[in-house]
Amino acid sequence: MSEMKAHSIDISAMQRSQQTLRIENETPCLTVNNLELFYGDKQALNGIDMIIPEKKVTAFIGPSGCGKSTLLRCFNRMNDLVDTCRITGEINLHDTNIYAKGTEVAELRRRVGMVFQKPNPFPKSIYENVAYGLRIQGINKKRILDETVEWALRSAALWDEVKDRLHESALGMSGGQQQRLVIARTVAVKPEVLLLDEPASALDPISTLKIEELIHELKEEFTIAIVTHNMQQAARVSDYTAFMYMGDLIEFGDTNTLFTNPSKQQTEDYITGRYG
Amino acid sequence: MTSIKEKKMQKPSVSNWFKSGDPWVWLNAGAVAISVIMVIGLLLLIAVRGLGHFWPADIVEARYEVPGQPAYKLVAERVESLEVPAVQVREAGIEISEDKEIVSRTLMKTGNRDIYGSDFRWVIDDFLTEVTKPEMLFAAERHEWGNLYGYLQAVKESGTVIAETQDKQATDSALATWESFEKSIERALVIHEDIYQIEKHDIGAINHGLERLRLKQRSLELNDELTPAILADLDADRAVFDQEYKVLQERLITLYGEINRDTFVVEAMDGTISELQVAKVVRAFRPNAMNVFDKIGFYGAKLWEFLSDDPREANTEGGVFPAIFGTIMMVLLMTILVTPFGVVAAVYLREYASQGWLTRVIRIAVNNLAGVPSIVYGVFGLGFFIYFMGSSIDQAFFPEALPSPTFGTGGLMWASITLALLTVPVVIVATEEGLSRIPRNVREGSLALGATKAETLWRVVLPMASPAIMTGVILAVARAAGEVAPLMLVGVVKLAPSLPLDGNYPFIHLDQKFMHLGFHIYDVGFQSPNVEAARPLVYATALLLVIVIALLNLAAVTIRNHLREKYKSLEM
Repeated sequence: MSEMKAHSIDISAMQRSQQTLRIENETPCLTVNNLELFYGDKQALNGIDMIIPEKKVTAFIGPSGCGKSTLLRCFNRMNDLVDTCRITGEINLHDTNIYAKGTEVAELRRRVGMVFQKPNPFPKSIYENVAYGLRIQGINKKRILDETVEWALRSAALWDEVKDRLHESALGMSGGQQQRLVIARTVAVKPEVLLLDEPASALDPISTLKIEELIHELKEEFTIAIVTHNMQQAARVSDYTAFMYMGDLIEFGDTNTLFTNPSKQQTEDYITGRYG
Repeated sequence: MTSIKEKKMQKPSVSNWFKSGDPWVWLNAGAVAISVIMVIGLLLLIAVRGLGHFWPADIVEARYEVPGQPAYKLVAERVESLEVPAVQVREAGIEISEDKEIVSRTLMKTGNRDIYGSDFRWVIDDFLTEVTKPEMLFAAERHEWGNLYGYLQAVKESGTVIAETQDKQATDSALATWESFEKSIERALVIHEDIYQIEKHDIGAINHGLERLRLKQRSLELNDELTPAILADLDADRAVFDQEYKVLQERLITLYGEINRDTFVVEAMDGTISELQVAKVVRAFRPNAMNVFDKIGFYGAKLWEFLSDDPREANTEGGVFPAIFGTIMMVLLMTILVTPFGVVAAVYLREYASQGWLTRVIRIAVNNLAGVPSIVYGVFGLGFFIYFMGSSIDQAFFPEALPSPTFGTGGLMWASITLALLTVPVVIVATEEGLSRIPRNVREGSLALGATKAETLWRVVLPMASPAIMTGVILAVARAAGEVAPLMLVGVVKLAPSLPLDGNYPFIHLDQKFMHLGFHIYDVGFQSPNVEAARPLVYATALLLVIVIALLNLAAVTIRNHLREKYKSLEM
């Protein structure tokens, strides 16, 4: 435990010292304009405006039911699966509105990949899990598949652990390995954005640490948005943090400022543990 | 610990005993025990009655004298015994001594139906005297007229006696005659097999070819495309067939001459001497001279004949192979039809249809469909599939064969489709159940990778639901294999001339009528002219039907368990 903590502090310290982050200086990857979301009659998101900066980690924190997962699921239109869900406003991926008519949702989801709270490998071999997204795209050449699978598993820091049992069932792996496999599977289709919905909440501390390290490496290549319950985790892994409460975006800014010098009273109350 | 103390403190009483729950455990265990006993009892009954039939029973010779009637000699196999009140027998006009209240009657199989008119008679045990089991008494199974019992007197080759005896004991001359009889039977059986092959296969193929030529010509005629050149071609083809047929026919004539060469002379129990053709005999044996191992061997041979041969004598003798084949083939076809259909319907109902009142109504209707009596499906199959669809198909695709129907009459395909309709609700319900159990997060995982809903269904959801689908298929197979009533209307017959799968193009004959074990039981047991002879076969066939269904189910269960292992659920 203590070793892990020391390690993670190292990471945050190293990162913080490098540069001062200013949201105004970032290239926006996703832009949210006045997004409202209703489940039936109940409004779950009240006019969200924000940007997700490119090749940075943006964390969403807030108490349960505040709408952070709902917002995350808007980025790849996962909420379409809920029958009663209705959305107004727009989200632009670079310059295209993903809620525009005629958007290819499947292609959108390939570009904006998502990792869920609970590891959800398919009941297939490790190799087939990672190759799944490629096969969906019609890529069946063995050489390309082999290369991509190895690359994706290396990206997810899983290659060394599984290279000898690629054709065994993915269901035989540990929970942490399964979650990294799911990340590898998502990375394999080379998305632009990675959405992580509490990726470590079902995992033990060592696996959590590995996932956090992985997030650090992945942000070199991907824009990452992560929802987390764990404020320390948000502080450790993210560059920017959004605090949400009751469907509102209360405060959004670079992580350092938000945690050390929040501008809103609600934010301060939450991060100091007064509620939530 | 406390509970023990409490129990000690409580006085044992009936109400406490009830509270403890023990009576319910006993009740449940009792119900299970009764079910198990009933199932085992059922299986044992049909197994004992059915399998006993193939054992070579001893033949007894006895003097039978009912008071006031002339005595005669009885040569027969014992079949079964029954205790009846003496009063009943007295009322039938038979004198029974006054001190008896119960007499035992025995059913004797006397065989020789061609001589006496019937093969069975009931005798009263008390009037049987001088019961012996002579070694030289023999039984002969024949292609027709049932068993023959008697003493062999002579064997003749083309009318000339080659061996004869007057002895009824196992003397040298009697044994020598028996040996030459056995040799003669063996020779006749070989020829019989040749004749069978020629008549069934070679000539069958020629007839099939000629029929195809006739249909081709007729179809050309109907389309006004029959030119003299084509006609000449057809005639040439026909001439080839005719030529082949002539060759075969000549060979058949020779074979028939050869097979009818030998005859044998037999003395029946009433002293009648008859001369019969050896070719009529399937097998001859002397059960009284057989030891246990001989009998076991004989038993195995009979059992194998039952499983692998065609039926003889209005289904009361021989085997049931065509019925086994028909049953399995029909069930497999039904499975092939019902699985995709049921799965597709369930996928639509569960995954695509909006879950409104209409879907609910459809679901209720589907569930109720499973409860409709099967004969109703038979009527529907006959009215809709055969008369409507079948005759439309005939008019569209087989006009050359009209007026004789091709698909416009009962057949394998219609029977399979009718049973598929009967079992589709089971598959739909089981598949829906399976689909609803697939965790949401696995579907989302696939969708999040850029798969469409259809791709997700096809690549992830359906494979994971396959064990549940197989459960539905197992239930469907179990129901379909045991169904008889609708089949009587849509294509099952008591005797099909050929199997629905053979070497003649197009190999699987979906339009052909077929035999079925379930219907075979009904037919043999209740439609047969010789009920006594058929009864053991009813049990044997019933046992076989149960075994066939069990095997089909076992195969499906094995597949399901394999799938289950492969797609172990993702619960963590």
